[in-house]
This record gives sequence, C-alpha cells and structure tokens, in this order.
Amino acid sequence: MKKTVIYGASFTAFILIACQPTAQKAAVSEKKEEEKKIQVKKEKKKNLAERFKIALANQDKWQKACSNPDQIVPKGIDVETFRKEMMATVKFPEGGVIGKDIKRGEKLFGDPDKGGRSRRGNCYACHCGDPRILACGNIGPSLRGYAKRGIDPKDTYIRIYNSWAIVPCSVMPRLGYHGVLTPEEIADIVAYMHDPESPLNK
Amino acid sequence: MKEKKYLVGIIAGGSFLVAAVTAQEQTPSHLQELLELGMHPGHAYVDEGRELFNTMKGPNGKTCASCHGEDGSKNLEGAYARMPRYYTDIGKVADLDLRILSCMTQYMGFDPKDKKFRKEFDKWSGKYRVPLATFVASLSNGMEINVQIDDPQEEEMYKKGEKLWFMRVGARDFSCGICHSVLAGKRIRLQGLPDPVKAKVYTHWPAYRFGNDRMWTMEDRVRSCFRAYFLFEKKWNEKSDWVKKPPPYSDWVIALELYMKHAANGGVIEVPGLLR
Ligand code: HEC
Ligand code: HEC
Ligand code: HEC
Repeated sequence: MKKTVIYGASFTAFILIACQPTAQKAAVSEKKEEEKKIQVKKEKKKNLAERFKIALANQDKWQKACSNPDQIVPKGIDVETFRKEMMATVKFPEGGVIGKDIKRGEKLFGDPDKGGRSRRGNCYACHCGDPRILACGNIGPSLRGYAKRGIDPKDTYIRIYNSWAIVPCSVMPRLGYHGVLTPEEIADIVAYMHDPESPLNK
Repeated sequence: MKEKKYLVGIIAGGSFLVAAVTAQEQTPSHLQELLELGMHPGHAYVDEGRELFNTMKGPNGKTCASCHGEDGSKNLEGAYARMPRYYTDIGKVADLDLRILSCMTQYMGFDPKDKKFRKEFDKWSGKYRVPLATFVASLSNGMEINVQIDDPQEEEMYKKGEKLWFMRVGARDFSCGICHSVLAGKRIRLQGLPDPVKAKVYTHWPAYRFGNDRMWTMEDRVRSCFRAYFLFEKKWNEKSDWVKKPPPYSDWVIALELYMKHAANGGVIEVPGLLR
C-alpha cells in the first residue's frame, strides 16, 4: 500500500518534470500496453480448445482411478494406500487447525447475507447447517449441531482439506488439495464449525 | 427496517421451499399450468426460427428453404431425431448447432470468420442459432429419438462421450456422472439432479428455462455444466486460470450429446421443453 503511494507520487513528479515528448512517449507505451492486453485476450480465446485440452489432461492419478461408472475406488487399488497418499498431501496452517476469523469462516462456508452462497467453499450446495439457510443440498449429511458431536477439529480440517483422505472418490471436493481454499481459510471454517456460539450449533 | 428485512426473508424462504418440493418433478406444477393455458414462452422461438428459415437470405441469396423446402418440409422432418450424426459434406459428426452453422457458412455465403456474424450466431441472445435450432428440432416432434452409431467416427465420438461422462477432473473433482448418475434424485442446493441418461431428458431439449428466461440448446446446457468443475490450466485460480467451458461445437460437447442422446433412443421428442 505504502509502496504504491510513493510510486504514484514519484510518477506524478516525473510527469511534472518531464517535457512534452516524454509524455507522448508514455502515451504511446500505454497504447502498446493496451494492445498487448488485447492480444493476450485474443490468445486466450483463440486457444480455448488448447486450454480445455490441457485442463482435461491435468486429471491426477487419483481422479483417474475414480473415473469409472460407479465412481468408487476400483478393484486392484488398495483403499488404505489411497487414503494414506491423500493424507500425505494435507498441509496444516502455522497457527493451528482452529483459525481466528470465525466471521470469515462463516462467509466461506456460506455467506448468510447471500442466502448461504459462497463460490469457493459452497458447503450449502451439498450440506444443510445454519437453520436460516433453507437453500441447502442433501448430498452430504446435515452439519447442524456439528460442534456437539465431539469430533476432533483436526479431523474436520483434514476432511475439508482433502476429503479423499477419509472417503476416497467422494463427491466432496478436495478443496485444500487443489488450492481452492488456503490452509488458513480452512482453519477459519473449522473455527466456525466448532464454535458453540455459531448459528450452526445453536 | 430490521423487521422489513425479516419479512422479505420469510417470503423468500417460502418460495425456496416451494421450489424444493417441485425440484424433483419433471415439469414443476406452476409450469404445467402455463403449458395447459397454452402460454409456453418457448413457442416464440419456434416462430422466430421458422420465419428466419423461410426468409433470411445469406450473402449468396439462398435461404434455408432453398434447399430444405418451405418450413423444412423437403427433408428436415425427423432429422433432429437422428442427430448428432456423421455428415459426409463436412466430414465430421455434428450436433444441431454445428450443422446449422455449417449450412450457413458452407451453403449460404456467411463468413465463419466474420465477427459480427459469429456474435449473432454464437451468442445466446443472438439472432440465428437458438431460434433456428429450436425450430428445426420442433420438426421432429412426436417422433422417437433414433440415434445410430454405425460410422467409425460416430463410434469414436460415442466412446469419447462415455469416457468424458465419467471423467473426474478439475479443482472440484467432478464428473457428469457423479452429479447425474451417482447422485441422481438428490438435491444440489435446491436443484434436483436429473439423470439425463436414464431419464431420456433429451426428449425436451432445446428447453426454455424460467430461471434465466431463455431458450437453451443442449450445447448451452452441456457447456454450462462444465462451469461447476473449476477446470484450470496451470493451478486453480478463479481470476486468472479458470477454464470455464469447452469451445462451442467442439468434439467434447458433441461427444457428450451423442452419448446422452443415444441413451434416449425410443423417447418421444416434445420440444421446446419447459424447465424451472
Ligand atoms: C459436492 C458435494 C459436497 C460439497 C460441496 C461439500 N461436501 Fe462435505 N460431504 C459431502 C458428502 C457426500 C459427505 C459424506 C462423506 C463422503 O462421502 O465424503 C460429506 C461429509 C462432510 C463432513 C463429515 C460429516 C459427518 O457427518 O461426519 C464434513 C464435516 C463436511 N462434509 C464438511 C464440508 C464443508 C465444511 C464443506 C464446504 C467447505 C463441504 N463439506 C462441502 C459432500 C459435499
Ligand atoms: C445450398 C443448400 C443448403 C442450404 C441453403 C442449407 N442447407 Fe442445410 N443441408 C444441406 C446439405 C447438403 C446437408 C447435408 C445433408 C446430408 O448429408 O444428409 C444439410 C443438412 C442439414 C441438416 C441436417 C439434416 C439431416 O438429415 O440430418 C439440418 C438440420 C440443416 N441442414 C439445417 C439448415 C438450416 C437451418 C439452414 C439455414 C440456416 C440450412 N440448412 C441451409 C444443404 C443446405
Ligand atoms: C455439480 C453437479 C453437476 C455436474 C458436475 C454436471 N451437472 Fe448437469 N446439471 C446439474 C444441475 C443442478 C442441473 C439442473 C439444472 C436445472 O434445474 O435447471 C443439470 C442439468 C443438466 C441437464 C439437463 C437435465 C434436464 O432435466 O433436462 C443435462 C443434459 C446435463 N445437466 C448434462 C451434464 C453433462 C453432460 C455434464 C458433464 C459435462 C454435467 N451435466 C455435469 C448439475 C451438474
């Protein structure tokens, strides 16, 4: 923040001191910048087929294993090994698995001000929880009263970071593993879920 | 102020509940009522498409009707029931959208690289694609879906579709199959998850969706479902690295369409459909 201010100030000074031609040069390079941006945008569009192909090729070996009609661990792959490999991917935040920002955790779980929506966490797509959120799915079990179940917060953390460490091939996305949520964000969700005062548990 | 908010909440909550109850049915009851009153908003698209079909001239002066007869009477009745299929003139397996695009560029003089034309064709709200597709599809109403897999290209496409249907991929580990085969009948938020393979939903596509007040072709439907995957090129990043949809008319889309439509063989076409 501070850096930008200084940079901005010195930039203004530069403009003030600079004579006409330099200003023109700046305008030209700005135009070039703009053209470059358009070019990048074009590339992106042109290569949508290429990008989509790469995106599919990014399938990891565990996803591949689950890509059968039953969407389960197929015969020939040991479930315990699968779990262990998934467990090994779990990274824990420095401050511990219970974060400090409960409000942020709630927003990531599903923002009550937006009817429970949250693009990245999106827990209400599959779970019910806060009784005020009626638009909730029934794909996973209800998480209402979750804190009263005596579950170790560390297990909650692992479940959200990489659900396949517990249920391989589960429909529940591996949100930490893929970097959709950061370890700190997951810790805040855990804090929200285990807080006895949270609407989830009241 | 606070009280007002609460009230709105209750009202919104109420309609949510109604939606939840109707989510599982094929045609929700309030839409069924509209149908019975003859108020199907999709019919405007059929009319618009028919008008275009008979009168819209390409740069070379031809209309669709020049080759396919007035209202498609010469050879398009029942055509949609057999699509997607392999066409020798374009050398590939095409769905309805690609077939119409190919006719316009190959036979009517439209330039496939002309941006203005492509915008009007590709875009949801554009003039050409959706109305024409809806009209052509309606020429197969009352007929059974009858997709054959006999050309080697069709076979390859079908296999590709089947594989893609079950392919877990992207930052959300999804596949078409996990939502639509394994979880069919469950509720994602309030939307009931249909099984497009077992339930032969293809009989009601293209469909008008009340949710966003628009007609959708199956291209639009399949491509939109890919948004949920969070596909990425390098490392998932919502802002800079989200590969939202496959390109339109691409093999990925057509392969999935072929897979689903083949599964719907025997189902009786009744379009445009009407969805929540
Ligand atoms: C696409 C559906 C889906 C989404 C999205 C989802 N889950 Fe799950 N979740 C499941 C399913 C299904 C289960 C049941 C166990 C399994 O199959 O993995 C589950 C299980 C759980 C459990 C264990 C519950 C128990 O009773 O032991 C927790 C905790 C949980 N999810 C938390 C979350 C949180 C927090 C989020 C949001 C960040 C979330 N889930 C998002 C589908 C989902
Ligand atoms: C100059 C002639 C010509 C014009 C004009 C033309 N088409 Fe075609 N159309 C063809 C040919 C040739 C085929 C390929 C037939 C085949 O291989 O069975 C075809 C195939 C089709 C098919 C698939 C038919 C089937 O049996 O599967 C559809 C649908 C179609 N056209 C729609 C249209 C529409 C809509 C327009 C106007 C936008 C249009 N066509 C304009 C020549 C034309
Ligand atoms: C995260 C879950 C999810 C995934 C993954 C998903 N879909 Fe869907 N799909 C939905 C939902 C929800 C609807 C219903 C939307 C509505 O109510 O209008 C739907 C609707 C559909 C329909 C229309 C069903 C009808 O009733 O007519 C088709 C066809 C379809 N999806 C195909 C696909 C294909 C193909 C894929 C794979 C590329 C896919 N879906 C992946 C959630 C999903």
